[in-house]
Amino acid sequence: MSLFGNRKQAVPQAETLGDDAIVVSKLRKTFGDFVAVDSIDLTVKRGEIFGFLGPNGSGKTTTIRMLCGVIEPSGGTATVMGYDICKDPEKVRCNIGYMSQKFSLFQDLTVDENLRFYSGLYGLTAEKYAERRAYILKMADLEGRETELTKNLSVGWKQRLALGCATLHEPKLIFLDEPTSGVDPTARRQFWELLYDLANDGVALFVTTHYMDEATHCNRLAFIYRGDIIAAGTPQEVKAGLAKDTILRLDVDDGEGALAALQGNSAVAEAYMQGASLQVNIGHLSADEADLPAVLGSAGFLVHGVERVEPTLEDAFVHLVTEQGGRA
Amino acid sequence: MRGSVARITAIASKEFIHISRDWRMIVAVLVLPLTQLLLFAYAISFDVRNIPTVTLDLDRSAASRAFIDAYGHSGFFSMQGGVTDQAGVMQAFDRGTARAAIIVERGYGDDIASGRPGPVSVLIDGSEPNSAQLAQTYALALDQTLGRQAAVSWAAARGLSPPTAGTLQPLVRTWYNPERRSADFLIPGLMVVIIMIVTIQQTSVTLVRERENGTLEQLMESPLTHGELILGKVAPWAILGFVDMVLITAIALVVFGVPLRGDIAVLAIGTLLFIVCSLSLGLVISAVAPTIESANMAGLLVSFLPGFMLSGMAFPLASIPVPLQVISYLFPARYMIEISRGIFLRGTSWGALYPEVLSLAVYAVAALGIATLLNRRRT
Repeated sequence: MSLFGNRKQAVPQAETLGDDAIVVSKLRKTFGDFVAVDSIDLTVKRGEIFGFLGPNGSGKTTTIRMLCGVIEPSGGTATVMGYDICKDPEKVRCNIGYMSQKFSLFQDLTVDENLRFYSGLYGLTAEKYAERRAYILKMADLEGRETELTKNLSVGWKQRLALGCATLHEPKLIFLDEPTSGVDPTARRQFWELLYDLANDGVALFVTTHYMDEATHCNRLAFIYRGDIIAAGTPQEVKAGLAKDTILRLDVDDGEGALAALQGNSAVAEAYMQGASLQVNIGHLSADEADLPAVLGSAGFLVHGVERVEPTLEDAFVHLVTEQGGRA
Repeated sequence: MRGSVARITAIASKEFIHISRDWRMIVAVLVLPLTQLLLFAYAISFDVRNIPTVTLDLDRSAASRAFIDAYGHSGFFSMQGGVTDQAGVMQAFDRGTARAAIIVERGYGDDIASGRPGPVSVLIDGSEPNSAQLAQTYALALDQTLGRQAAVSWAAARGLSPPTAGTLQPLVRTWYNPERRSADFLIPGLMVVIIMIVTIQQTSVTLVRERENGTLEQLMESPLTHGELILGKVAPWAILGFVDMVLITAIALVVFGVPLRGDIAVLAIGTLLFIVCSLSLGLVISAVAPTIESANMAGLLVSFLPGFMLSGMAFPLASIPVPLQVISYLFPARYMIEISRGIFLRGTSWGALYPEVLSLAVYAVAALGIATLLNRRRT
């Protein structure tokens, strides 16, 4: 959270007018009996940073691949930058940028060669390429490193070069599949500043991430779980689902042991580790009614302190997933 | 259309950069084929020379020594010295110091002098059937020649007219001067197999590598189509494969003195089509293989086994079992070897070779299509 604390005001607000970059209706994908994506609906506006969250294997990547026109949906429709993904997948791919978590650059090519390759792939004219190349080298802070092999760049540079390659043809919509995984905090922060700049220029960004601090700074979110979107809205709206619940942070020596001791306790709706401390959702009860120090004390765990905390996005998602699990 | 050409060019030029950055690939493309040509051309020879041989001379007469010397001078047997008894022969065979033994029985000199059959025997180690077969042929031919010489001199010594000379000489001559024939026959076939090995090996890993690196995923999210990707991958290797073929042909002509009797244009067209066929076969492997390792193994298997066994390079295809003959049509080498031998050795005209050229053309288109479809299914 601290990473982006001072940038909070700078988050651009999505334009309220203008076309939608992505409109998805009842989109579905099955692989045999397995339902990877189960009739989801979502809309992404131009210039909006849209966070697409969910655990591994929940259908995030499958959704992106359908929206990019790489795989055909089993049902439903989607329009991306005004083109139907089933009828015009080539048009879709010409009008989007894509960056994967692996920063899929060619490691044995230089910075320049990677850029030229993508320029050829997207059919840029020589003048356009020269202009975009200069812009991207500056944007990614890669000036002077044009002839360096990509594999010798640090992860942060690779990541920015990958973003540069994905934006070379000036798409108005970019898909970023976990673009910050494995990147150090400083580089992540720099990277998000680039994303804000793009969004300010009216580029829509469809971002998957599992960093909750990053999710907080998206304009809107959708949380996909087992192929289903179980929550959507602004970060505040998503958290509002937990507003009536009481969340306690317990300072206890053996967090894991205490967590096990709380399983099955009727007062506890949800309990989970967050960092080193034990986080407990006691629903509508008050801290006194639940009296967790006494409960844990009788089980042999000494509680040093209890503090009521505001629900975070992470709390919201744990809550949502627990609800889903209970239903399944 | 212009965009399509630009995309294919982009892929092809980046492939060239990959190749130029990786010295192992340069070795694999330029050094290995030539080494293979030289190695195989010298190693795969149907001639057997210098069979290590021991002698057991129990007669110890001038005649027996002359008999043994004749073997030594033939060039086929390399004399490893004499042993004193049967056990010595066994020992030499066991140790592998000899694979043939010449045994002259006691009384050989007297028998020859008095016109009786000379008791000699030749023992051959049959654990290498091919060499054994040849050694036996040499020995029989030598014995019959020597026997006839003995008969002639025996008759002459008695003032009788010698028996009419036999027809053994032509048989011996087939093996006596075989080197040139063997190379001429082998090299036009060998070059086809080498090109097949190099091209299949290189392309069999290319798509798998992109898939493992995640770059294929990135490419698929761009306007690039599967067909363009495949063509962009084939183009640089087709050029390099062709350069290889030119180098190998030059070596065949200059170093091995292989004749070039037919139309070189037909050879060039056939070569280009054949290279595209092999590359596509490699891409088919690459499209279905789960890992780089398995792609490598499959590439080795598909290039070496059908290359040597089902191409007609080493064995005439008519002599292999019928099911294998049928399978041999699935690999492009058999068509190309027909073209190669036709052009190099027989000076065959376009009119007689067009079925093979046409087969390669159809094969190339089909294999490219299959590789494209299989790769699309994997993404």
